[in-house]
Amino acid sequence: MAEEQKKVRFVIERQDGPNDKPYTQEFDVDYRPGLNVVAALMEIQKHPVTVDGKRVAPVTWECNCLEKVCGACMMVINGKARQACCSLVDKLDQPIHLAPARTFPVIRDLLIDRSVMFESLKRIQGWVEIDGTWEVKDAPIQNPYTAATAYEISHCMTCGCCLEACPNVGPQSDFIGPAPTVQAYLFNLHPLGKFDAPKRLNALMGKGGITSCGNSQNCVEVCPKNIKLTTYLAQLNRDVNKQALKNIFNH
Amino acid sequence: MYNVTFYLRRLHSLVGLLVLGIVILEHVMTNASSLGGPEAMNSGLAMMEMIPKPIFYGLEIFGIAIPLLFHAIYGIYIALQANNNPGRFGYMRNWMFTLQRWTAWYLVPFLIWHIFYLRIYTKGICGVPMSYELLDSYFTNPIVVVLYTLGMLAALFHFCNGITTFCMTWGIAKGPRVQSVVSVLSMLLFLAFALVTVAFMAHYVLF
Ligand code: HEM
Ligand code: SF4
Ligand code: SF4
Ligand code: FES
Repeated sequence: MAEEQKKVRFVIERQDGPNDKPYTQEFDVDYRPGLNVVAALMEIQKHPVTVDGKRVAPVTWECNCLEKVCGACMMVINGKARQACCSLVDKLDQPIHLAPARTFPVIRDLLIDRSVMFESLKRIQGWVEIDGTWEVKDAPIQNPYTAATAYEISHCMTCGCCLEACPNVGPQSDFIGPAPTVQAYLFNLHPLGKFDAPKRLNALMGKGGITSCGNSQNCVEVCPKNIKLTTYLAQLNRDVNKQALKNIFNH
Repeated sequence: MYNVTFYLRRLHSLVGLLVLGIVILEHVMTNASSLGGPEAMNSGLAMMEMIPKPIFYGLEIFGIAIPLLFHAIYGIYIALQANNNPGRFGYMRNWMFTLQRWTAWYLVPFLIWHIFYLRIYTKGICGVPMSYELLDSYFTNPIVVVLYTLGMLAALFHFCNGITTFCMTWGIAKGPRVQSVVSVLSMLLFLAFALVTVAFMAHYVLF
């Protein structure tokens, strides 16, 4: 092979620990067709040498499914929040800039702690109550008219892209963010889950709930699963208004 | 417990659209009447003077001062919760979101100046009633003209984009298509108001 091997330059924002200062390092990775960001990070892990020839600690990041279903590999790629495993090098401007999604606490390098979303899901009761004193029969049938919507929202992989892009999520605000908010609608659609709809709606009316959304619509632009977040936020806005009227006039 | 945030936020939205919306429409209409000449504007202002004083002051306090103070103070609190990021996410609606906050920041000092100078000092303390002649001479200072034109445009943008976000906040416009239709319509409304504003400001300056 006479041709020289093509390289892809990565500029990576790193950080040694949760409280350490960030710094950047640059790496060159051999180009190959179909190369994506996770595959490139694996190459760097095998051969962690910067462009100045310095051997450094391998870059830490998180990934799992490698097919855009687990959500783990979310990071900021060329300024945008997205999944590393489905970010093809061919479709990105080079050099490729990688940074951790700083809306979440950084553990190390590109590895972040997204557990705040899990806490928010607990807060909105993102589950269906099935254990009780009653007999558990077959699963109830889904409403065929809302099944497509429920299926769409159920694709959410708590990746956190939408929280990273939302201007109202961050240390300056207590907003739980679009993903956990919209999950409330999924469970409100469920034939058993809907029994707890008033609980979820009341949780959304609390501090940091749906009212903290300012309609910038960044969430719907960045969601890798194309969930129509702003549509369901509007629907939930209707639902909490109705719930508020019930709260006022039913007691 | 009682979802105080929810009610405050909804009240902020209602006050912005319905109460302050009427105030800004009144300002556009009165100023636009100056295009018909001094008599047209002064007769309109005289009609307003015919409202009995207790009712007029009641309207000013409960229809403008208190709602505006609430919307402005709670609005500052809301604006401080946003980390505007149109540089990273330069989508159309994100720019509108950012402009909603930037116009709000401009309106805070502008409205303090506008209300203290024209309403409290000129009309209240010096007892000079509002008239075409007063504004015509006020708008001979180019700095005042520029700051007032910007203030009017900022308030109008904030109001018109507020119509769009109001429709989302209250779940009126739900789907992507109706949301973009509302967005386009309210920006057309803003353009129309902006043209009227430029026309009457130019009229004060030129005639
Ligand atoms: C004086 C300073 C003002 C400040 C600091 C301010 C602040 C804000 C903020 C931060 C929002 C966004 C609220 C949200 O995202 O939920 C907003 C919305 C709004 N404002 Fe203001 N504002 C001011 C004056 C005005 C004036 C003069 C008007 C009327 C012309 C107005 C009308 C509106 C409307 C209609 C909305 C939309 C409400 C919604 O989205 O539901 N505001 N304001
Ligand atoms: S529409 Fe609301 S939830 Fe979505 S990014 Fe904007 S502020 Fe955040
Ligand atoms: S809603 Fe979309 S962007 Fe947000 S966490 Fe779920 S999959 Fe990710
Ligand atoms: S590794 Fe699962 S989404 Fe990327």
